[in-house]
Amino acid sequence: MIEAQHLTKRYGTTVAVDEASFAVRPGRVTGFLGPNGAGKSTTMRMILGLDTPSSGSVLVNGKPYRELTDPLRSVGALLDAKAIVGGRSAASHLAWLADSNGIGRRRVTEVLELVGLSDVAGKRVGTFSLGMNQRLGIAAALLGDPETLMFDEPINGLDPDGIVWIRNLMKSLAAQGRTVFLSSHLMSEMAQTADHLLVIARGRIIADASTDEFVNRNSTPSVRVRVRALQPADLAAALTRRGALVERCPDGAMIVTGLDSAAIGAVASADDITLLELAVRGTSLEEAFFELTRDETDYHAGQLSGTSERSLT
Amino acid sequence: MSATTRIRTPARPARAASISRTRKARILKAEWTKLRTLPSTWRTAALTLALGIGFSVAVALSQISQWHAMTAQQRQVFDPTSASMSGVMIAAVVLGTLAVRTVTAEYSTGMIRSTFSAMPARPFVLAAKAATAAAFAFPVTLLANLAGFELGQRIFAGQHVAVTIGHPGVLRAMVFGAVAVSLVAVIGVGIGGLIRHTAGAATTLALIIIGGLTVGQFLPAGWRQYMPGIATQAAVTVHRSAGLLRPGAALVVLAVYAAIALSAASLRVAHRDA
Repeated sequence: MIEAQHLTKRYGTTVAVDEASFAVRPGRVTGFLGPNGAGKSTTMRMILGLDTPSSGSVLVNGKPYRELTDPLRSVGALLDAKAIVGGRSAASHLAWLADSNGIGRRRVTEVLELVGLSDVAGKRVGTFSLGMNQRLGIAAALLGDPETLMFDEPINGLDPDGIVWIRNLMKSLAAQGRTVFLSSHLMSEMAQTADHLLVIARGRIIADASTDEFVNRNSTPSVRVRVRALQPADLAAALTRRGALVERCPDGAMIVTGLDSAAIGAVASADDITLLELAVRGTSLEEAFFELTRDETDYHAGQLSGTSERSLT
Repeated sequence: MSATTRIRTPARPARAASISRTRKARILKAEWTKLRTLPSTWRTAALTLALGIGFSVAVALSQISQWHAMTAQQRQVFDPTSASMSGVMIAAVVLGTLAVRTVTAEYSTGMIRSTFSAMPARPFVLAAKAATAAAFAFPVTLLANLAGFELGQRIFAGQHVAVTIGHPGVLRAMVFGAVAVSLVAVIGVGIGGLIRHTAGAATTLALIIIGGLTVGQFLPAGWRQYMPGIATQAAVTVHRSAGLLRPGAALVVLAVYAAIALSAASLRVAHRDA
């Protein structure tokens, strides 16, 4: 359980996190979604007592993080998998973490097994790939068998197998009744993993809803319909008269926003227009997310509507 | 802060005094595990022994080669103990840098966040780093001193000025030299916490130790003896010599520097975002 009250972090005149109030509850995967630079990592650092809030507070399992006895037994976190001194072996890295919270060495072997790093337990961490580092970071988070788990962009650098593995791991941890808090800038990833979403943009929490609710609420108003007609110019004119937004495609089809497929069909039959194609495109989650955060993001459309992230949907 | 600001900031990091004995023991154990599981720690120990003993022998040989040119008075103040343990300066620089790295390596990689998440009592974490680095530096330096002494006395035996380990003050000089380097290690942890970058912090430490020998030439004699490098040299003396503190006083001076460096670093680390 993580509870933030008016959590705020300012750096000079920049507000990184702005009066964020939210609760991350046990028994489900909560996705912390926002564009890069929205304040996700800063929020997570404040949760872990690493950064001091400018104002407001955040409690983990009812206490400020720094007051937890043996914090690793309450909260396991993976912030940055590469943030590790490379000279030690994977087992040694986990050994000092275990020592610091009075956790037995047997648990080190267990978590190495769990993340599939047993074979390389004695290898220098400096030789690890990013994916192996992610697994080691997850092992470190699980070390204290904590009630609350927090992962910052855990799928970065993982191969498809690794992504499926981590997705299932998150779900099983939540199914065990743990609090799982997972950040990502990829809506599509969140849709597949998270039960609940916390959306942050420019430091403000702009949505706190179940994933289904979020998707429904944000997809409906902007349903898009692809239409091809024998008389495209007539149809476009007729639809525009009814207040729809019509976008002509190079292949002769048009994308209609503002009227649903039934209404478009009715317009066509009323004007004796022959429809060749009528398909609801819907709104992808990614688009719903961009829609929501567009006005909230520092770097506008130019970067956000770019194709690099969308192409992953 | 403005009146509208809700102020319920989380507690500042717990002061070292307020954490339980169990937690202190765990933090010490964790920091010791960190130190001993880094292969470079053991390479550094080997390097300290090789360079330290080598330097001690080189200085002993050079001193004895000038024996015939020395005046009677110079021969009278010749201190065969400190003359065979010059390697203590090397130990101070090399092991001091090791101590610096216990802090800066974590800041430069970002692992400091794992450290402070696992152990939120930041000042005590720094103290534990200082304690483990000092505890590591002590036996390594003692061994280097012992070897330097034994080899040096064989060299001095040629002029019949050798002393034995049982000679008054000799054992004390060996131990004090090791304590001096342990205190330099504490200074190193402090500098590491203040500067956080390996290169900058290691250079600063080296300048404080070795730079004192050169820059010190331009300082009034009364001030020079308080420089950390000069105080480290004074710790291994048996004969009282002009321009050097008594060994005990030299350790007190180093301890004061260590306390200042560590306290300043604790304050900085505790109040800064990690």
